[in-house]
Amino acid sequence: MTIWHKQLGGGPVGAEPVRLVGVRGRLDQSLTPQLEQNLSELLNQGHKHLLIDLTEVEYINSGGLRCLVSIWRQARQQEGSLSLCGLNHRLSEIFSMVGFDKVFNIYPNSEAARHHQSGA
Amino acid sequence: MGSVKRLTVPGRYDQISTICDFVAQGAEKAGLDEDATFHVQLACDEACTNIIEHAYGGEGEGVIDVSWQVNRRTLTITLQDQGRPFNPDAVESPDIPQNPDKIDQLKIGGLGLHFMRRLMDEVTFSFDTNRGNTLIMVKHIKPQEAK
Repeated sequence: MTIWHKQLGGGPVGAEPVRLVGVRGRLDQSLTPQLEQNLSELLNQGHKHLLIDLTEVEYINSGGLRCLVSIWRQARQQEGSLSLCGLNHRLSEIFSMVGFDKVFNIYPNSEAARHHQSGA
Repeated sequence: MGSVKRLTVPGRYDQISTICDFVAQGAEKAGLDEDATFHVQLACDEACTNIIEHAYGGEGEGVIDVSWQVNRRTLTITLQDQGRPFNPDAVESPDIPQNPDKIDQLKIGGLGLHFMRRLMDEVTFSFDTNRGNTLIMVKHIKPQEAK
């Protein structure tokens, strides 16, 4: 699994910064500990608002979902947020199967998330 | 009745992809489409994760026996382990509030079992002191998928 992150540019002046986190690979039990650790570190470094780009994630199981919920809880405790983008149709199906499409803010892509942040 | 294909692997997370590849052979034999094959693989992933986490209480504590069989209308997958008896009725169902104001009450226990029941057409657990836990999962083959 590969994880990268960068500042999401183009938001409105004065808006709180959003960290865009890209993930490549399978979100299952063998790989989610690394993702959870990386995301937890970002939150602890003061990046309160995270946007996870799942464009290059082709598979997720309940362990991957638990990881995202864990980070979502941590972000809320720090008055931050966790949003998602780039879900393929299989991931979208899995999220809706357990109602997680109601829990997370989900955008088609990072551009759409940035536009939403800008209020466009 | 189609022949039964069998595989035995150590109960470790890194073996789950091997099991998923194995049951995908059964899905292909049954003529399932890509989405249905994905459902079968994810259900098996969740079942094996439950075996490792709950029946064996960790990795490397025992083996997982997997078999699949294709009949005219069904793909039947059987998983067996020698771990602690698994009682599906004791597993708490996930509780996902539909009201965003109550989202902090989110409970995600039992997600794996929830997926197995949603992704497969039949899910049956049994326990026998000699054979251990047996899980039988059935996927119905739609007429247009049947070869």
